[in-house]
Order: sequence, then C-alpha cells, then structure tokens
Amino acid sequence: MEAIDSAIDPLRDFAKSSVRLVQRCHKPDRKEFTKVAVRTAIGFVVMGFVGFFVKLVFIPINNIIVGSS
Amino acid sequence: MVGGFRVIHLVRPFLAFLPEVQSPERKIPFREKVIYTVISLFIFLVCSQLPLYGIHSTTGADPFYWMRVILASSRGTVMELGITPIVTSGMVMQLLAGSKIIEIDNNVREDRALLNGAQKLLGILIAVGQAVAYVLSGMYGSVGELGVGNAILIIVQLCFAAIIVLCLDELLQKGYGLGSGISLFIATNICESIIWKAFSPTTINSGRGAQFEGAVIALFHLLITRTDKVRALREAFFRQNLPNVTNLHATVLIFLIVIYFQGFRVVLPVRSKNARGQRGSYPIKLFYTSNMPIILQSALVSNIYFISQILYRKFGGNFLVNLIGTWKESEYSGQSIPVGGIAYYITAPSSLAEMATHPFHALFYLVFMLAACALFSKTWIEVSGSSAKDVARQLREQQMVMPGHRDSNLQKELNRYIPTAAAFGGLCIGALTVLADLMGAIGSGTGILLAVTIIYQYFETFEKEKASELGFFGL
Repeated sequence: MEAIDSAIDPLRDFAKSSVRLVQRCHKPDRKEFTKVAVRTAIGFVVMGFVGFFVKLVFIPINNIIVGSS
Repeated sequence: MVGGFRVIHLVRPFLAFLPEVQSPERKIPFREKVIYTVISLFIFLVCSQLPLYGIHSTTGADPFYWMRVILASSRGTVMELGITPIVTSGMVMQLLAGSKIIEIDNNVREDRALLNGAQKLLGILIAVGQAVAYVLSGMYGSVGELGVGNAILIIVQLCFAAIIVLCLDELLQKGYGLGSGISLFIATNICESIIWKAFSPTTINSGRGAQFEGAVIALFHLLITRTDKVRALREAFFRQNLPNVTNLHATVLIFLIVIYFQGFRVVLPVRSKNARGQRGSYPIKLFYTSNMPIILQSALVSNIYFISQILYRKFGGNFLVNLIGTWKESEYSGQSIPVGGIAYYITAPSSLAEMATHPFHALFYLVFMLAACALFSKTWIEVSGSSAKDVARQLREQQMVMPGHRDSNLQKELNRYIPTAAAFGGLCIGALTVLADLMGAIGSGTGILLAVTIIYQYFETFEKEKASELGFFGL
C-alpha cells in the first residue's frame, strides 16, 4: 500500500495544484473570446489561402517543368 | 572561468564563413516589417513547390510522411528538408546551453554571437547529413539509377534550400520582420494543408468514379450532380479516405476550443521599485510552454517511427526490432503504417470503433500522450530559461517586486504557479491533440494546435508592434 501511496500522492498533489490553478485563472469572457477567435480565424484563412494559391499556380508550372525533363 | 577554455570558442574560426544577415541600422517601420515577412513567406512557399532536379522517382513509401506537416517539409521539392535543420540545431543548442553543458553568458555580446554562429553551423551540418542520408537511402531512386552527378546535384539543392530557410528565419528574427520564420512556415504549411483539403480542385478516382479531393468542392459537386440528394449529402459528410464535411466541422471545433483555453491565465500583480511605483502585471498562461510539448512529442514519435521503419526493413524478423514496431503498407495511401510493437501503441487509433475493439491500445496511447506532453512541458521550462527561478531573476533585474511579498518570496510565489501551469498545460495540449485526432479533424490534432497557437502568438506580436509604432509604450 505504501508503494501505491508513494505513486498516487504526487498525482493527487498535481491534481490539487491543477484545480487551484484553473480556479485562479482569469478566463476569457464572450467578447474577448469572440475577438480573438475572429482574428485568429482571419490569420488562419489568410495564411491558408496564400499557400493554397501558390500551390494552385505551381501545379501547371510543375507539370511543364517535370514534363520536359 | 574567466579567460579559461570554453567549448563555444570552437565556433570562432567558422564565423567568417557563415552567411549572416546584418542587423538593421535603423528602426524598421511596421509596414516594412509586414512586407519583409510576406516576402519571406512567399519565398518559402515557392521553394515548397519547386521540384528537385535530377530525382529519378518519389514513388517509394515515404518514411517521413508522419512528420512533414510539423516540419514544413514537402516531398520531392527543394524544401524536402523543411525546417528540420534549423529546428533541430535550435533545440540542441537550447538544451546544451540550458543544461550548462555549454557555458554561455548572455550578457556578453561575443557569447551571443558565438551561440548564433554555432547554431547556424550545426544547422548546415545537419542539412548536409540529412540530404546525404536521403540520397543514400534511395528516397529518390537508387544511387545506381541516379548517377553520382545527379546525387551530388540533389544534395546541393537540398542544402542550398536549407541555408535559404536559415537566412529567412534570421532575417525575421533580426527585426526586419514579425516573429520567427520557423513559426511562420509551420503555421502556413498547416493552414495551407487544411485549406487545400477543404477546397482542392484535384480529382481522385474511387469506386464511384472521379471525386474531388476538397471537402467543400465535393459537397457542392455531389449535391449538383446526384439525383438522390440525401445520399449525396450523406456521402459528402461521411465519405471515407478523403476529407469530408464532418472533418471540417471537427477542425473548426478544435480551433475554437484551443482559442478558448489560450485565454486562461493567472495574472500576478507586479510593481516597479522605482519610477514612482508604476504598476503592471505578469501573466502566467495555462499554456505556459505554448506548443512546445506537442512539437517535442511529435519529434519523439517521428524519430521512433523512422528508426523502427529502417530497422524493420532490414531486420524484419528480429524480436527486438519487432518489439519496436512492425509495419505494413496501407492499401489506400501507399504509406507504411505500424501494426505492432511500440510504434503501433503510440499511434493514434484511427477511429472510435477501433478504440472499442482495441481498448489496451487506446488506453496506452492516451496515457502516453498526456504523460509525454506534461513531462516535456515541465522539462522545457528548465532548459529554456522560463522556470520560476529564471522568471524571478528577470523580474528582479527589472527592479520589479510583487506587492505584499518580500523579495526572497518572489520565486516561491512563482513556484506555486509556473511548474503546475507547465505540466497541466502540457497535459491539456496532449488531451486536445487526442480529441482532435479522434474526431477526425483535418490536418491532425498536432497540426491544428500548432497552427492556432502560432497564429495567436503572431497577433500578440502584431499588437505589440503596432503599439510601439504608435508610441503608446515608448521603449
């Protein structure tokens, strides 16, 4: 039992610390969340489409390059 | 050891030969930084699409399939190495310096220059080594087929591209751009992958004729061309082996969850000893180490896969080799997939159904993911100089104190939060990754987490740059 306790105690302490941490955390409200979500989504889409269009443009170019060799 | 021999000095003779970006002589306006960043990104993207000259084929099983997203690597292009050389050398140097194997005094200008030089040199060496390994391993057809000339040509192309990435990253880091090149390239690679899977116009032949790869395109195509709208809708939402609309929804959901948790932080009040007691705050985020645990965990898994596949191919019958992992080729993607051994147990189950039929695999994978991320996260704060002790020292150097606490208690107070935030944050990252993979999110849970955390950081950098540009927080 002591062996089990010595393994479980750190986990229990960790769980307790984690719960306290989460309770102490400032959590984003709806307005804050929406703002960040929208901006991150914009960044995501911009980055994604930049890569997407480069890839789209290069497909025919690559067909020409590879086809000629 | 003042004046004594130090390992870092070994780099000094090489400094003259390393390509270097000059530090900017003036303050770069925000607009110019954006332009430099966009140009760097474009160069990277173009390199990711340029095919390698001289390769015979890329039809063999791809041993690096599992890690390409994370390392911004593109098969059969000059960007085959992706950011591997720069990330690996960065991590190695960080570990060496953080664990004091190499003595570095960050207050000495020469030491910082030597450290940068060492990291760059190591990156180039890794690039050369990796390029040679690729060619010799037959990635592009056997050396006999390629010929010595083409083999050397391929190696030169790969190394040249790796050096370009090194210089682009340095350009951005030196202040010409925003953030770091590594993060930018990873995030863009992942976003592109997801957008591509959503809107790809390429077609793939399946049992029912040609289908569009992109989930959204396929949705509209099926609705337009099928007479049975209900079956068309069901197929668009649940088709196998290609991106579908459910995958898209899962991706969006994970995206929103990650953003929500990003906002969790403990805000500790701090006050300046001078400047008439000016007040501020020091936030400790739940995701204290950001995406680092997932990067490290992915690197670990990818290396296990790589080593396991190499060994299995050469010594397939050996007990120890089988214990590490046994592999077979997938019918669909042509990739090797692990079917036994450790490699199998650390692979995400492909569905909830598989979890139910192999509960031990599911449990093992879950525990491995959570434990690995938590441990990597906790370890990382020590080696990256962001532990409670390091933060306390930084705050002290800035003459900051915490109201209501004596100087000596600063570290103790930080110790109540930072190690727990690191470990628990890492654990949450692991859990989100598992959740994303189970839900079938496009791009893998790892990828989405990386992309979202990187973009989030970019906006924080963005805000700071704009603020300082406008002079609100004159530095």
